[in-house]
Amino acid sequence: MKKPFAIWMAACLAWAATGSLASAEWQALGGFMEEAFGYRASDDNLTKHKSFDMAEQRLQLKDQYSFDGEGLLSRWRSVLRFKGDFTVDEYFAGETDFELREANISLTPASFMDIKAGRQVLTWGTGDYLFINDVFPKDYESFYIGRDDEYLKKPSDAVKLSFYPKAVNVDLIVIPYFTPNTMPEGQRLSFFDSFEGGIAGKSSDRFLVSPGWQPENFEYAGRFYRNFSDTEAAVYLYRGFDKIARSYKDEAAHQLYYERQDVFGASLRGPFAGGIGNIEGGYFYSPEDPKGDNRLIQNSMAKFMIGYEKDLGHDLKIGFQYFYEQTLDYGAYKAALLPQDFFWDEYYHLLTQRITKLFKNQTVAVSFFNFYSPSDQDGYVRFSVSYDMTDQWKIVMGANIPWGQGEQTTFAQMKKDKNIYVRLRYSF
Amino acid sequence: MNKTLFFIVAWLGLSFCPVYAEMSADEAAQKASHIAYYQGKDGRSSVTMVVTDAQGRTRERQMTILRFNIQDNGDQKYYVYFYKPNDVKGMSYIVWKHPDRDDDRWLYLPALDLVRRIAASDKRSSFAGTNFLYEDVSGRSVALDAHEMLPGDEKYYVLKNTPKDEAQVEFSYYKIWIDKNNFVPVKAEYYDKEGKLYRTIEALEVKDIQGHPTIVKMKASDLNSGAFTVADFSDVAYDIGITDDIFTERYLRNPPSQWIKG
Repeated sequence: MKKPFAIWMAACLAWAATGSLASAEWQALGGFMEEAFGYRASDDNLTKHKSFDMAEQRLQLKDQYSFDGEGLLSRWRSVLRFKGDFTVDEYFAGETDFELREANISLTPASFMDIKAGRQVLTWGTGDYLFINDVFPKDYESFYIGRDDEYLKKPSDAVKLSFYPKAVNVDLIVIPYFTPNTMPEGQRLSFFDSFEGGIAGKSSDRFLVSPGWQPENFEYAGRFYRNFSDTEAAVYLYRGFDKIARSYKDEAAHQLYYERQDVFGASLRGPFAGGIGNIEGGYFYSPEDPKGDNRLIQNSMAKFMIGYEKDLGHDLKIGFQYFYEQTLDYGAYKAALLPQDFFWDEYYHLLTQRITKLFKNQTVAVSFFNFYSPSDQDGYVRFSVSYDMTDQWKIVMGANIPWGQGEQTTFAQMKKDKNIYVRLRYSF
Repeated sequence: MNKTLFFIVAWLGLSFCPVYAEMSADEAAQKASHIAYYQGKDGRSSVTMVVTDAQGRTRERQMTILRFNIQDNGDQKYYVYFYKPNDVKGMSYIVWKHPDRDDDRWLYLPALDLVRRIAASDKRSSFAGTNFLYEDVSGRSVALDAHEMLPGDEKYYVLKNTPKDEAQVEFSYYKIWIDKNNFVPVKAEYYDKEGKLYRTIEALEVKDIQGHPTIVKMKASDLNSGAFTVADFSDVAYDIGITDDIFTERYLRNPPSQWIKG
């Protein structure tokens, strides 16, 4: 238990350090402390701990500095932003960690241009917990164990250039250093491991190979967007890598890797039938397997979704989405498979439904989000109740219930990972 | 004889005319709405709202609001940047207000870098968990109600406002008191479907700012629950040169630093 102490000390020192630099331009340091516990609600002997899947303390600190005065950075309205999380993870015997979530500078060097450089969270697209053109890194482990939604998004080290000419707004992003998604890997959450031929836990010995840090592996993302009256239209481009290791590098050595991926997509969002409608699609090109006949590499894919959200009044909102995915060149993929190979279906259909209701002057929020795939016969229920006890104290209780028949599909592979969690947070 | 009658009618007409023409109910409602929501071409204000529940516990909301008129007494755009409570600090919110249809609203969540389009057909839901409603903050369209002048007194016009579409609102009617001097609406009383008074809004302090009579302190009370919210408006300024482009995704993600200090 010495490590947690060290972490709190470091946190205090960081606080003191920013305090000593404090001038009028530094904002007051803000953040929160949180205690979280997740009880494992299904029998799972495969993971590290049978009875729980989350037990952690977290201290988040954030601050920002706005340049003042006559210098160039002031004239460019520059702002520095920092945000970091100190964590003590009892799941891994009190392991301490520091995650830098934001460390970036925003600049406006010209009236038609913004720059944001450094570590930052990147998001675009129109889905609700569903992503097509948002190809930026995500943490699905956090999602499944019930951490705050904030942690579904992982930061990227990137430079983002934004231009605002009259006709169309443009975002161009360069990501020099690849960050993959955090997916269940067996220690905390069990999942389907093709090398083990079924649901695997801590025995999984897969090795995931990331692209090396070199100029030809830089990722590039672009978005062109504008409004037509109150409808938002966007076109997206991406050159980079699949954020999930789906392709085989070396089967014998249990190595998977993040294959190259190019995405071309578009979306529309606007008022529709008394609510908000959205539609988004994307073509995922797999340059390493353009014909789809390499059984070891992910094929090109087409993805599409349509959604609708409506405010029914009295702080009650509902939403529905339909998501469709098709593996292209499926015939070539099927023909290339070996007899013992696990294989994926050509078509994937997913429906989601959200209900959010606020009570007690919006201090209590009840949320019920349901994923259901008719093609995979599996699903995932996310339920939570949060209560803002005061402006500082908040408690959240919730449940994550993935379910399904098989062992291989998106949610069915997670069926031993059902949990019930509680988080207590103090914000300052 | 005819001439005499004409003279009498004309005299009566002239003498009563000022009384009748003094102010129609619609005109008074329109003027009060203008004073409350449309003064100047644009405006800024720092707002602190303190919510006190029936047990005396308080919560605080702090924000800066920017406003831009597209049309006088018509479409407007609002930008709201939240400072408090701490867990929503840095969130920003844009409303394109349309008096004749649903508003367009966007919310930016900085932790997720997410611009969310808000489905918001219910303008009579609580604003940020306070006893003020969205319509109290951005204004209820005068055209949504039928206005009737009630007997007032020397200082105030009293209007009874009955919704044209009852299904859209929780009240059966509301009364407003409008200062005859400057058309500031100083009090509103809301009556429920049973005709019982359940909600009031009062202007607690009015100041002249750049020649515009401005409510700088107001209170919304929920008489059923006993909760109330007091809103203080400081740093109020009109015609500061806010432009239309502020109310776009660019500034939602990057608050305009000339008017909003992070």
